[in-house]
Amino acid sequence: MGSINWRLTLKISSLAVLLAIFCAVPLWNKEYITMVFMLIFLYMSLGHMWNLLAGYAGLVSLGQQIFIGIGGYSLAVITELYQLPWAVGLAIGGLLAVIFAMVISQPIFKMRGVYFTIGTWIVAEALGVFFSNWSYVRYARGFNITVSYRMSTTEVYYLALAVGVASMALVYVLLRSKLGLALMAMRDNESAAETMGIELYKTKLKCFLIAAFVTGITGGVLYLYIAFISPSAAFGIDWTVAMVFMVIIGGIGTIEGPIIGAVFFVLIKQFLYDYPGISLIILGVLAIVIILVAPKGIVGTLNDRYGWELLSPRRRG
Amino acid sequence: MPEYAIIQSILNGILLGGLYAIVGIGMSMVFGIMGLTNLAHGDMIILSTFLCIFFVTQLIPNIFLALIITILIMMALGFLIQNFLVNRVLDKGGEPALLVTFGVSIFIQNVLLMIFGADAQVVHTQLAAINIITTKFFSVSALYLFNFIVALLVIGVLHCIVYYTYFGRSIRATSDNVVAAELMGVSTKRIYSYTMCLAMVSAAIAGLLIGMTFISYPSTGTQYLIIAFGVVVIGGMGSLIGTLLGGIILGLAQLLGAYFFGAGYQALTGYIVLLIILTVRPQGLLGTAIRK
Repeated sequence: MGSINWRLTLKISSLAVLLAIFCAVPLWNKEYITMVFMLIFLYMSLGHMWNLLAGYAGLVSLGQQIFIGIGGYSLAVITELYQLPWAVGLAIGGLLAVIFAMVISQPIFKMRGVYFTIGTWIVAEALGVFFSNWSYVRYARGFNITVSYRMSTTEVYYLALAVGVASMALVYVLLRSKLGLALMAMRDNESAAETMGIELYKTKLKCFLIAAFVTGITGGVLYLYIAFISPSAAFGIDWTVAMVFMVIIGGIGTIEGPIIGAVFFVLIKQFLYDYPGISLIILGVLAIVIILVAPKGIVGTLNDRYGWELLSPRRRG
Repeated sequence: MPEYAIIQSILNGILLGGLYAIVGIGMSMVFGIMGLTNLAHGDMIILSTFLCIFFVTQLIPNIFLALIITILIMMALGFLIQNFLVNRVLDKGGEPALLVTFGVSIFIQNVLLMIFGADAQVVHTQLAAINIITTKFFSVSALYLFNFIVALLVIGVLHCIVYYTYFGRSIRATSDNVVAAELMGVSTKRIYSYTMCLAMVSAAIAGLLIGMTFISYPSTGTQYLIIAFGVVVIGGMGSLIGTLLGGIILGLAQLLGAYFFGAGYQALTGYIVLLIILTVRPQGLLGTAIRK
């Protein structure tokens, strides 16, 4: 018992130190470094949500860009058309993402397996086309999000840090809650879990809605940074490509996976910033190799080999 | 004569359906035989389009030779991808194989983007300017008719291969029962690789037709993946007639959508019809889906 408490204290204090370091990043006064960390946190949040769906709830969605688009467009419309503060935009973005997820969950949950995967993708493509033909959002011309011109990188960084940490804490708490137990049971054996009284539909729906909310908010913060939104980019598959690659490289179905994956993804992307195609080619090859050679990703493989686990969703007895 | 325009839309929708059928047929075979959703199918079609354009403009001005070289390259590529990537993860459930093809898709898209740039590409052909029949009510584009006839031919040839050859018999055996087929001496993994080759032949032909009919970008693969998936879903898989029907329904949905709501909504109505069918009849309109 004593050793467990000691390890827990060590863990909590090291996390606190890490958090303090992250809070201090802007003090370094290098805008580029701050921006890289900001992107890592934002992509981490996206990765966590895709991992929650694909790695735990068995919902391989290729349509998460739906919620990024909704989050980004909410921010743009609220700040540009109604001149309200960005915080309102972010909140409404999250809310609309959940509402939209709720609406499409009815038909989309009737599709199983690969039908769900492609169904979500079709919804995203359809939304992209719809927004391109919608006068309210200025067709395909999109918006300049002028509110972000008045925000410093540091401000957006702290938002990103909050989103990243919150998404991780949320996944951690969720997986250790009753919902997490239900998810693990489902992952191991769906029909046995159902026999034990787990409502598959409700459990999956909860994950879908949570992921929609967080992805929507993250999308809003991302567009605070990007400052320009258009339908083809906002509802483009590239967002989900990033999520898939990050989670596969880091380790699907692990809490640490999306973190490692996000660091990898953002660093490779920034390193090859002048050659945008090449970074995706490298990441694509890396993802394929990892699926073939080490399907559990970096974290899962380390975990199997050395028993290395930073944040265990398991409860110790 | 706008009151007759609907006749034109219906006619073009049906002819376009032929093109969509050939876009979908390869995916349908792969889906039906190995239970794999090839997320790279659309990009492989666009890759064929770009290969054809490259050969026609840079090497040989003969479009048939260009097509034949493209077919050979695509067959080799399909074999390699299936043999060395997909076959190795196919036993581990649906997700890994799905994600491998997703990786391949992103890979192809970005390689095309790197080599050819983001510009629009098109295969120039005289057919595009000719109308075979022109009446007061409608006209028939030579190109659309050509697409439709080629689609019928390809579907017919594939049908003959699957039903009347020894190879086809082993494909059907593998599709019905993998274990039994292996016991009968069929190397199922090898059959999967050959199936992918066959699917790539259809993708190469589809690529040429797409290149002649529409403007293509490296990123348009997604659009054709969804069309292919739609054709498979609507037609039900394993049914070659269903594939043609699926193509025609999608083609009609798009062109009638464009007729009633404006050209910008062409893709949208296609997607919505597809989503409705997916929701109401996930196993397709014809035939029953085998989910592996």
